[in-house]
Amino acid sequence: MSQENTPVIELRHVNKHFGSLHVLKDISLQVKKGEVVVIIGPSGSGKSTLCRTINRLETIDSGDILIDGVKIPEEGKELASLRSQIGMVFQSFNLFAHMTILDNMTLAPVDVLKIKRKEAREEAMRLLERVGVADQAHKVPAQLSGGQQQRAAIARALAMHPKAMLFDEPTSALDPEMIGEVLNVMSELAADGMTMLIVTHEMNFARRVADRVIFMDGGVIVEEADPETFFSSPKTERAKLFLNSITAH
Amino acid sequence: MKTSIRDMLYEEPGPKTRKNIRIFTILSILLIAALLAVIIRQFAVTGQFAPRYWNFFTRWTTWKFLGQGLWVTIESALTGAVIAFVLGFLLMRGKLRRNKILHAVSVCLIEFTRGVPTLLLIYFFFLIVPQTGIKLSAFWKITLPCAISACGVVAEALRAGVNAVPYGQTEAALSLGLTETRLFYKVVFPQAIRFVIPSLIAELVIVLKDTTFAYVVTCADLMQNAKVLISNYDAMLSVYLVVAVIYILINYLLNKLSDRLAFRLKTGTAERSAA
Ligand SMILES: Nc1ncnc2c1ncn2[C@@H]1O[C@H](COP(=O)(O)OP(=O)(O)OP(=O)(O)O)[C@@H](O)[C@H]1O
Ligand SMILES: [Mg+2]
Repeated sequence: MSQENTPVIELRHVNKHFGSLHVLKDISLQVKKGEVVVIIGPSGSGKSTLCRTINRLETIDSGDILIDGVKIPEEGKELASLRSQIGMVFQSFNLFAHMTILDNMTLAPVDVLKIKRKEAREEAMRLLERVGVADQAHKVPAQLSGGQQQRAAIARALAMHPKAMLFDEPTSALDPEMIGEVLNVMSELAADGMTMLIVTHEMNFARRVADRVIFMDGGVIVEEADPETFFSSPKTERAKLFLNSITAH
Repeated sequence: MKTSIRDMLYEEPGPKTRKNIRIFTILSILLIAALLAVIIRQFAVTGQFAPRYWNFFTRWTTWKFLGQGLWVTIESALTGAVIAFVLGFLLMRGKLRRNKILHAVSVCLIEFTRGVPTLLLIYFFFLIVPQTGIKLSAFWKITLPCAISACGVVAEALRAGVNAVPYGQTEAALSLGLTETRLFYKVVFPQAIRFVIPSLIAELVIVLKDTTFAYVVTCADLMQNAKVLISNYDAMLSVYLVVAVIYILINYLLNKLSDRLAFRLKTGTAERSAA
């Protein structure tokens, strides 16, 4: 199915309301294979909602969302199977609190992909090694620092061999000294060619890693450009104001 | 600056407070001792300490008889608790379903079983059920109503536990491709049950106490056998005292178990990582 120029993620004229609040207004967007797209924008602009519609943690009112050219199924096994192909990393990590890190890693590969437990464990240890928390494998999440938890959560998503990864402010809940370790893991992922859609407030990181920056405000994509152009010479007034407001202090 | 009563309650006691606490403790001990003295004196005056009320407790057969009753009580309470858990689990699942009919039926059953007095259910099993031709032994005539009377409370306790699990856990499981059923059993319920173990054991204590109604259906439990002893020896007070102590002991042990379990589940994680 996946031809060279079919986008991995595509949104066509997506609209979404929360009650009377119009949160996503006619959003169209493509993320190609291997591309890293960063979404920035003020609080309440709809970034998280956009991110969450892509694996249908939020439903949409109109428009289409396609993964590898195929519309997202609305329910059942098909939807679950699609979700398993898209990794998601949350602001609050959401590691399963009653399981060890290793069990967190192997639950879905064994349960969903039907991989043998032993193989799943070996692969899990390789991934934990890669994100630098292999020595924490037998602890439960509460015993890890925030940075370690988020790196383990990234590894957990990678264990499903996703086609693309969604990150919703992965470093916003972290103490400053732990932000770097998580961003490093994400940079390495990007360098390895992972397709990524990232919501973040880390502008230096965005500038370094993004192939493209999308600026959202009030449920609309206001501006879309390569990071160099966007950060040095934003075209719209709203983007200028936003960039000033976050660099002002 | 103290801002609330709670702050004052939790303050480290100073010298004055410590003195007050000591005085209060001594006064209450004196009061309790006085009360006990009055009770014992009344017993002595009315002849409750007469050997004929207590002698039969030195006989092995008395204890064997009480022990048999105790065993039936425990069997009935445990069986009832297991049934209540299974029914409560199904009702909780039903209430959390999006299917409107299943939801409504579960809500009705939960409210009904929580609202009806156990004794009424026991009379139903004792008087009405046999008329329909269904034959139940005395054991089931007490165990089933006790279980049914507890299942609604169990359902609500389990539901509270499920609701206490943060929704992020569900979202993470969904995003990994688990179906709603799988993630319920693998992620949500194992966490929910940890939250509600203490209330489940508290419910077991209530089931155990409810089985004391067994005399209604003449099921030979601890209470029924106690009644037999009372009429055989014409010794009400001594038997009731002994039986009360047995019930209190069991429920005390259950509560201790509950505390231990709750503690283990909280610290179990640390033990596991050390292993
Ligand atoms: N479940 C919900 N029910 C109702 N309104 C919601 C819900 N989730 C989000 N909203 C509203 O939708 C709007 C967009 O929210 P969203 O979380 O997507 O913003 P965001 O850009 O991610 O903001 P932030 O930077 O604060 O995370 C906000 O006004 C928010 O209050
Ligand atoms: Mg957000």
